[in-house]
Amino acid sequence: MTASSKDPRNKKFDYQEALRDVARSMVRLRKPDRLLKMITRFIDRQFGLHHTTILVHEPSRKRYVFVNSKGIRRVPVGLVKFDADHPLIRWFLMGRRKMPFGQDFLLLSDVKKMQNKAQFRLAANSRASELTQIQKTMEMLKVELVVPGYFKHDLVGILMLGGKFSGRFFTDQEILFFQTLANDCSMAIKTAEYNNRLTEKNRELEKRLAEIEKLRHKEQRTYYEIIRSLAEEVEAKSPTVFGHVSEVEKLGMMTARELGLDLSGPGKDILSAALLLHDVGKIGIPDQILTKPGQLTDEEWKVMRTHVEKGAKILEPLSDFKKVKEIIMAHHERFDGTGYPKGLKAAEIPIEARVVSVVDSFHAIVSGRCYREGRPIEAAFRELEHCSGTQFDPVVVEAFIRVIRKEIAKGKIDVPAAQS
Amino acid sequence: MKKRLLLVDDEIEICEFLKSFFEDRDFQVMTAYSGVQALAKVESFNPHVVLLDIQMPEMDGLTALRKIKEKHPKTKVIMVTAVETQDKIEEAMRAGADNYITKPLSLEYLEKDVQEKIDSLAGV
Repeated sequence: MTASSKDPRNKKFDYQEALRDVARSMVRLRKPDRLLKMITRFIDRQFGLHHTTILVHEPSRKRYVFVNSKGIRRVPVGLVKFDADHPLIRWFLMGRRKMPFGQDFLLLSDVKKMQNKAQFRLAANSRASELTQIQKTMEMLKVELVVPGYFKHDLVGILMLGGKFSGRFFTDQEILFFQTLANDCSMAIKTAEYNNRLTEKNRELEKRLAEIEKLRHKEQRTYYEIIRSLAEEVEAKSPTVFGHVSEVEKLGMMTARELGLDLSGPGKDILSAALLLHDVGKIGIPDQILTKPGQLTDEEWKVMRTHVEKGAKILEPLSDFKKVKEIIMAHHERFDGTGYPKGLKAAEIPIEARVVSVVDSFHAIVSGRCYREGRPIEAAFRELEHCSGTQFDPVVVEAFIRVIRKEIAKGKIDVPAAQS
Repeated sequence: MKKRLLLVDDEIEICEFLKSFFEDRDFQVMTAYSGVQALAKVESFNPHVVLLDIQMPEMDGLTALRKIKEKHPKTKVIMVTAVETQDKIEEAMRAGADNYITKPLSLEYLEKDVQEKIDSLAGV
């Protein structure tokens, strides 16, 4: 039993419980200034002091600022500071182990006693004059007890306490409690500082990532424009198919809508690009094959078929167009698995590629190609239906014919075949 | 003769804290909470030094400074500024302020500066 616990005033007060309360609050409160406010209020109420004041280190300004204060002799918030070279700060910055008598708090009564002790002067060496200034500061602020708060080796804050209304001295147990409290708060402040820095860094990183993403997108956009002009060039090689790609794109989008494909997000751009660029690989096919009137030889067909892979290759650098590449790669696959280049079957073929295949074929039938004249729309429908289930996905064929008929009925469609 | 100090700040808490601080140091202290009040107190109290906050309602510190210096050029005036009013320091010095001090302030420096101003008056 220590003397202090016999004190009737202290009997009611459970230090362990109080510290647990503080620890719980620290977890709940993310802003340390609210924690400090709570703690000054708590000490003020619990111990009956002339004032309770907290100073906190401002690392960027190299100073300690009075952030919170309670009691009749309180220090107005934000009015007073101690610079890092203030004797009191220097005293605590020396570190715990170097402190005379191994104690890291200062009681005004001790300071006064120490001043008179020759023994202390020896221990403190040149610190005797510092102690005079410290005593002056403590008296100036009506402070009886100063308790530093450390986190690791940093002096994070200082707790300054005025005398008790009762005139009694602080007990060892009370001082130990204040020390624990000061160090707990220091940890909370440092943690919050660290968290804030982390949040800020994250925000900065996100901003930079967004910028990079924007740049990348711009670059890809440029590349896409180049590819589009390439596609137009392919078209321009045979004047009879002029307007083919934009027509295919229009019909393809209508079919996709009829099928109920999801075109809300990037799906729309992907399908549009695939429809526009599906034959871009033909840029790599020699003109004598590409524009040859009449049937191609087996050898020539082999070359012709490489336009699929060539197209995919051209799109390779566009990471946003990965899906477009897949569609183009598969637009000559057949529903029954006999197409090229991979011989994919039914659902293995992307639905967009199945759409491209139907629309592309239809358009080739109705418009003139270098190797034959264009045919009427109804003939094209019959051809599609004939190949439904073998070359084409029956569902796509059905949706395509339905939407074209609707458009014709509305008089909105103008396919070349309508003239023949 | 007691050293007379007038504290001018619209925050009563600051006035009260500094008042007891300087009273402990053997000053005779009066307080004012606005520029208008400050002018009246300068007349009646005739302080050696005025500690004048730069930002106040009614009449700001700069205006009060000019009026004080106009009628009592010998009275020493130390301006007190916050971070957000630091750009006014130059204007204050040109208007005749004897020094300025920035919040948060060092009490040791404040005491030293006020004492210096008193000493300079005694020397005249």
